Amino acid sequence: MPIRVNLDRVLVKRRMSLTELADRVGVTVANLSILKTGKARAVRFSTLDALCRELDCQPGDILSFEPGPPDDPDDGAFEGG
Amino acid sequence: MRTIGPGSIASLLKIALDVAYAVLWAVLVILVLAFAAALLALPFLANNAHVAGTLNFDGQPASASDLFKHWPMLVGAALAVDAYVGVLLIIFFRVRQVFATLTLGDPFQPENVGRLRIVGLGLIALEVMGYVIRLALLWALPVRDQGAWSPINISGWFAILVVFVLAEVFREGARLRRDAELTI
Repeated sequence: MPIRVNLDRVLVKRRMSLTELADRVGVTVANLSILKTGKARAVRFSTLDALCRELDCQPGDILSFEPGPPDDPDDGAFEGG
Repeated sequence: MRTIGPGSIASLLKIALDVAYAVLWAVLVILVLAFAAALLALPFLANNAHVAGTLNFDGQPASASDLFKHWPMLVGAALAVDAYVGVLLIIFFRVRQVFATLTLGDPFQPENVGRLRIVGLGLIALEVMGYVIRLALLWALPVRDQGAWSPINISGWFAILVVFVLAEVFREGARLRRDAELTI
Protein backbone atom coordinates (compact mmCIF):
# COMPACT_ATOMS: atom_id res chain seq x y z
CA MET A 1 0.00 0.00 0.00
CA PRO A 2 1.36 3.50 -0.80
CA ILE A 3 0.48 4.68 2.72
CA ARG A 4 3.19 3.53 5.11
CA VAL A 5 2.66 3.37 8.87
CA ASN A 6 5.71 4.38 10.91
CA LEU A 7 4.22 3.64 14.30
CA ASP A 8 7.04 1.31 15.34
CA ARG A 9 9.63 4.05 14.65
CA VAL A 10 7.71 6.61 16.71
CA LEU A 11 7.27 4.07 19.52
CA VAL A 12 11.03 3.44 19.61
CA LYS A 13 11.67 7.20 19.72
CA ARG A 14 9.24 7.60 22.62
CA ARG A 15 10.52 4.37 24.26
CA MET A 16 6.98 3.18 24.61
CA SER A 17 5.67 -0.33 24.18
CA LEU A 18 2.67 -1.21 22.01
CA THR A 19 0.82 -2.48 25.09
CA GLU A 20 1.36 0.80 26.93
CA LEU A 21 0.19 2.80 23.93
CA ALA A 22 -2.87 0.57 23.61
CA ASP A 23 -3.72 1.24 27.26
CA ARG A 24 -3.33 5.00 26.85
CA VAL A 25 -5.22 5.27 23.56
CA GLY A 26 -7.99 2.83 24.41
CA VAL A 27 -7.43 0.60 21.40
CA THR A 28 -6.73 -3.12 21.68
CA VAL A 29 -3.18 -4.35 21.17
CA ALA A 30 -4.45 -6.53 18.32
CA ASN A 31 -5.85 -3.52 16.49
CA LEU A 32 -2.71 -1.47 17.06
CA SER A 33 -0.72 -4.40 15.76
CA ILE A 34 -2.85 -4.42 12.60
CA LEU A 35 -2.13 -0.70 12.22
CA LYS A 36 1.59 -1.12 12.92
CA THR A 37 2.02 -3.90 10.37
CA GLY A 38 0.23 -1.88 7.66
CA LYS A 39 -2.74 -4.24 7.37
CA ALA A 40 -5.32 -1.61 8.38
CA ARG A 41 -7.69 -0.35 5.70
CA ALA A 42 -8.54 2.92 7.46
CA VAL A 43 -7.76 4.97 10.56
CA ARG A 44 -10.44 6.96 12.38
CA PHE A 45 -9.65 10.61 13.10
CA SER A 46 -10.44 9.90 16.75
CA THR A 47 -7.77 7.14 16.82
CA LEU A 48 -5.26 9.35 15.03
CA ASP A 49 -6.04 12.16 17.45
CA ALA A 50 -5.42 9.89 20.45
CA LEU A 51 -2.22 8.46 18.95
CA CYS A 52 -0.80 11.92 18.22
CA ARG A 53 -1.72 13.16 21.69
CA GLU A 54 -0.14 10.21 23.51
CA LEU A 55 2.94 10.05 21.29
CA ASP A 56 3.28 13.84 21.15
CA CYS A 57 3.68 13.82 17.38
CA GLN A 58 2.01 14.89 14.14
CA PRO A 59 -0.04 12.58 11.85
CA GLY A 60 2.79 12.88 9.33
CA ASP A 61 5.17 11.30 11.83
CA ILE A 62 2.98 8.17 11.94
CA LEU A 63 1.83 8.05 8.32
CA SER A 64 3.77 8.66 5.13
CA PHE A 65 3.04 8.27 1.43
CA GLU A 66 5.23 6.17 -0.83
CA PRO A 67 4.24 6.06 -4.51
CA GLY A 68 3.32 2.59 -5.67
CA PRO A 69 0.46 0.52 -7.03
CA PRO A 70 -2.72 0.75 -4.94
CA ASP A 71 -4.02 -2.31 -3.11
CA ASP A 72 -6.72 -4.45 -4.73
CA PRO A 73 -9.94 -3.43 -2.92
CA ASP A 74 -11.10 -7.06 -3.18
CA ASP A 75 -7.89 -8.35 -1.66
CA GLY A 76 -8.91 -11.39 0.36
CA ALA A 77 -12.57 -10.47 0.10
CA PHE A 78 -13.58 -13.31 -2.20
CA GLU A 79 -12.53 -16.85 -1.52
CA GLY A 80 -15.20 -18.53 -3.66
CA GLY A 81 -17.75 -21.24 -3.03
CA MET B 1 -41.37 -8.64 13.66
CA ARG B 2 -37.89 -9.81 14.59
CA THR B 3 -35.27 -10.39 11.91
CA ILE B 4 -33.49 -13.31 13.53
CA GLY B 5 -34.51 -15.75 16.23
CA PRO B 6 -37.69 -17.57 17.25
CA GLY B 7 -40.84 -16.17 15.64
CA SER B 8 -38.89 -14.15 13.09
CA ILE B 9 -39.31 -14.15 9.32
CA ALA B 10 -35.92 -15.84 9.10
CA SER B 11 -37.04 -18.74 11.28
CA LEU B 12 -40.14 -19.25 9.10
CA LEU B 13 -38.01 -19.16 5.96
CA LYS B 14 -35.60 -21.65 7.52
CA ILE B 15 -38.46 -24.06 8.15
CA ALA B 16 -39.67 -23.63 4.54
CA LEU B 17 -36.13 -24.22 3.21
CA ASP B 18 -35.63 -27.31 5.39
CA VAL B 19 -38.98 -28.79 4.32
CA ALA B 20 -38.36 -28.04 0.63
CA TYR B 21 -34.86 -29.56 0.88
CA ALA B 22 -36.20 -32.75 2.49
CA VAL B 23 -39.03 -33.00 -0.06
CA LEU B 24 -36.56 -32.58 -2.94
CA TRP B 25 -34.37 -35.37 -1.57
CA ALA B 26 -37.44 -37.61 -1.32
CA VAL B 27 -38.51 -36.70 -4.89
CA LEU B 28 -35.00 -37.41 -6.21
CA VAL B 29 -34.88 -40.81 -4.51
CA ILE B 30 -38.34 -41.70 -5.84
CA LEU B 31 -37.43 -40.56 -9.37
CA VAL B 32 -34.18 -42.54 -9.39
CA LEU B 33 -35.98 -45.65 -8.12
CA ALA B 34 -38.77 -45.17 -10.69
CA PHE B 35 -36.19 -44.72 -13.45
CA ALA B 36 -34.40 -47.91 -12.40
CA ALA B 37 -37.71 -49.78 -12.21
CA ALA B 38 -38.72 -48.53 -15.67
CA LEU B 39 -35.41 -49.72 -17.14
CA LEU B 40 -35.92 -53.13 -15.56
CA ALA B 41 -39.53 -53.26 -16.80
CA LEU B 42 -38.70 -52.57 -20.46
CA PRO B 43 -37.81 -56.19 -21.35
CA PHE B 44 -40.98 -57.34 -19.57
CA LEU B 45 -43.14 -54.91 -21.56
CA ALA B 46 -41.49 -56.04 -24.80
CA ASN B 47 -42.63 -59.59 -24.16
CA ASN B 48 -46.10 -58.60 -22.92
CA ALA B 49 -47.64 -56.28 -25.49
CA HIS B 50 -51.06 -56.50 -23.83
CA VAL B 51 -49.62 -54.90 -20.66
CA ALA B 52 -48.07 -52.08 -22.65
CA GLY B 53 -51.44 -51.56 -24.31
CA THR B 54 -52.94 -50.63 -20.94
CA LEU B 55 -50.54 -47.69 -20.62
CA ASN B 56 -51.64 -44.41 -22.07
CA PHE B 57 -50.13 -41.02 -22.58
CA ASP B 58 -52.27 -37.92 -22.96
CA GLY B 59 -55.38 -40.09 -23.24
CA GLN B 60 -53.96 -42.09 -26.14
CA PRO B 61 -53.22 -45.79 -25.49
CA ALA B 62 -49.55 -46.55 -26.01
CA SER B 63 -48.59 -49.73 -27.73
CA ALA B 64 -45.37 -51.60 -27.07
CA SER B 65 -44.04 -50.42 -30.42
CA ASP B 66 -44.82 -46.82 -29.47
CA LEU B 67 -42.87 -47.25 -26.26
CA PHE B 68 -39.89 -48.77 -28.01
CA LYS B 69 -39.91 -46.23 -30.81
CA HIS B 70 -39.43 -43.41 -28.32
CA TRP B 71 -37.64 -45.16 -25.45
CA PRO B 72 -34.24 -43.46 -25.94
CA MET B 73 -35.96 -40.10 -25.74
CA LEU B 74 -38.06 -41.20 -22.76
CA VAL B 75 -34.94 -42.43 -20.97
CA GLY B 76 -33.21 -39.16 -21.78
CA ALA B 77 -36.18 -37.16 -20.50
CA ALA B 78 -36.26 -39.22 -17.30
CA LEU B 79 -32.55 -38.62 -16.78
CA ALA B 80 -33.07 -34.91 -17.47
CA VAL B 81 -35.85 -34.78 -14.85
CA ASP B 82 -33.51 -36.47 -12.35
CA ALA B 83 -30.79 -33.96 -13.21
CA TYR B 84 -33.32 -31.13 -12.87
CA VAL B 85 -34.16 -32.19 -9.32
CA GLY B 86 -30.44 -32.70 -8.62
CA VAL B 87 -29.67 -29.13 -9.66
CA LEU B 88 -32.59 -27.93 -7.52
CA LEU B 89 -31.00 -29.74 -4.58
CA ILE B 90 -27.65 -28.02 -5.22
CA ILE B 91 -29.43 -24.65 -5.32
CA PHE B 92 -31.31 -25.34 -2.09
CA PHE B 93 -28.10 -26.60 -0.44
CA ARG B 94 -26.32 -23.34 -1.28
CA VAL B 95 -29.30 -21.18 -0.27
CA ARG B 96 -29.39 -23.01 3.08
CA GLN B 97 -25.67 -22.30 3.51
CA VAL B 98 -26.30 -18.60 2.83
CA PHE B 99 -29.22 -18.70 5.24
CA ALA B 100 -27.10 -20.34 7.94
CA THR B 101 -24.77 -17.32 7.83
CA LEU B 102 -27.81 -15.06 8.23
CA THR B 103 -29.04 -16.94 11.29
CA LEU B 104 -25.52 -16.61 12.75
CA GLY B 105 -25.93 -12.85 12.29
CA ASP B 106 -23.14 -12.46 9.72
CA PRO B 107 -24.49 -12.85 6.17
CA PHE B 108 -21.91 -10.65 4.41
CA GLN B 109 -19.24 -13.31 4.27
CA PRO B 110 -17.07 -13.54 1.15
CA GLU B 111 -18.08 -17.20 0.72
CA ASN B 112 -21.70 -16.16 0.12
CA VAL B 113 -20.69 -14.42 -3.13
CA GLY B 114 -19.59 -17.76 -4.57
CA ARG B 115 -22.67 -19.50 -3.18
CA LEU B 116 -25.02 -17.00 -4.81
CA ARG B 117 -23.16 -17.32 -8.10
CA ILE B 118 -23.62 -21.08 -7.94
CA VAL B 119 -27.33 -20.49 -7.30
CA GLY B 120 -27.47 -18.24 -10.38
CA LEU B 121 -25.62 -20.78 -12.52
CA GLY B 122 -27.94 -23.49 -11.18
CA LEU B 123 -30.98 -21.44 -12.19
CA ILE B 124 -29.51 -21.01 -15.69
CA ALA B 125 -28.99 -24.79 -15.85
CA LEU B 126 -32.61 -25.32 -14.74
CA GLU B 127 -33.91 -23.00 -17.46
CA VAL B 128 -31.86 -24.73 -20.15
CA MET B 129 -32.82 -28.18 -18.86
CA GLY B 130 -36.46 -27.07 -18.79
CA TYR B 131 -36.29 -26.32 -22.52
CA VAL B 132 -34.57 -29.66 -23.22
CA ILE B 133 -37.11 -31.62 -21.18
CA ARG B 134 -40.08 -29.88 -22.76
CA LEU B 135 -38.72 -30.36 -26.28
CA ALA B 136 -37.97 -34.02 -25.54
CA LEU B 137 -41.46 -34.60 -24.16
CA LEU B 138 -43.06 -32.76 -27.07
CA TRP B 139 -41.21 -35.06 -29.46
CA ALA B 140 -41.80 -38.25 -27.50
CA LEU B 141 -45.33 -37.58 -26.25
CA PRO B 142 -46.98 -35.03 -28.54
CA VAL B 143 -49.45 -32.94 -26.56
CA ARG B 144 -52.56 -31.46 -28.14
CA ASP B 145 -52.25 -27.91 -26.80
CA GLN B 146 -48.79 -26.84 -27.89
CA GLY B 147 -49.82 -23.19 -28.13
CA ALA B 148 -49.63 -22.88 -24.33
CA TRP B 149 -45.88 -23.49 -24.36
CA SER B 150 -43.95 -20.24 -24.16
CA PRO B 151 -40.49 -20.39 -25.78
CA ILE B 152 -38.87 -18.01 -23.23
CA ASN B 153 -39.57 -17.92 -19.51
CA ILE B 154 -39.02 -14.20 -18.86
CA SER B 155 -39.64 -14.38 -15.11
CA GLY B 156 -37.09 -17.21 -14.78
CA TRP B 157 -34.38 -15.25 -16.56
CA PHE B 158 -35.30 -12.16 -14.54
CA ALA B 159 -34.83 -14.19 -11.33
CA ILE B 160 -31.39 -15.27 -12.58
CA LEU B 161 -30.48 -11.63 -13.19
CA VAL B 162 -31.64 -10.72 -9.67
CA VAL B 163 -29.53 -13.50 -8.13
CA PHE B 164 -26.37 -12.32 -9.93
CA VAL B 165 -27.09 -8.71 -8.88
CA LEU B 166 -27.50 -9.94 -5.29
CA ALA B 167 -24.17 -11.78 -5.57
CA GLU B 168 -22.48 -8.48 -6.47
CA VAL B 169 -24.31 -6.75 -3.59
CA PHE B 170 -22.93 -9.43 -1.25
CA ARG B 171 -19.45 -8.93 -2.72
CA GLU B 172 -19.62 -5.22 -1.91
CA GLY B 173 -21.14 -6.00 1.51
CA ALA B 174 -18.26 -8.40 2.24
CA ARG B 175 -15.75 -5.73 1.19
CA LEU B 176 -17.38 -3.11 3.43
CA ARG B 177 -17.43 -5.60 6.29
CA ARG B 178 -13.73 -6.27 5.82
CA ASP B 179 -13.04 -2.53 5.67
CA ALA B 180 -14.98 -2.06 8.90
CA GLU B 181 -13.04 -4.88 10.55
CA LEU B 182 -9.73 -3.34 9.50
CA THR B 183 -10.62 0.21 10.50
CA ILE B 184 -8.68 1.17 13.60
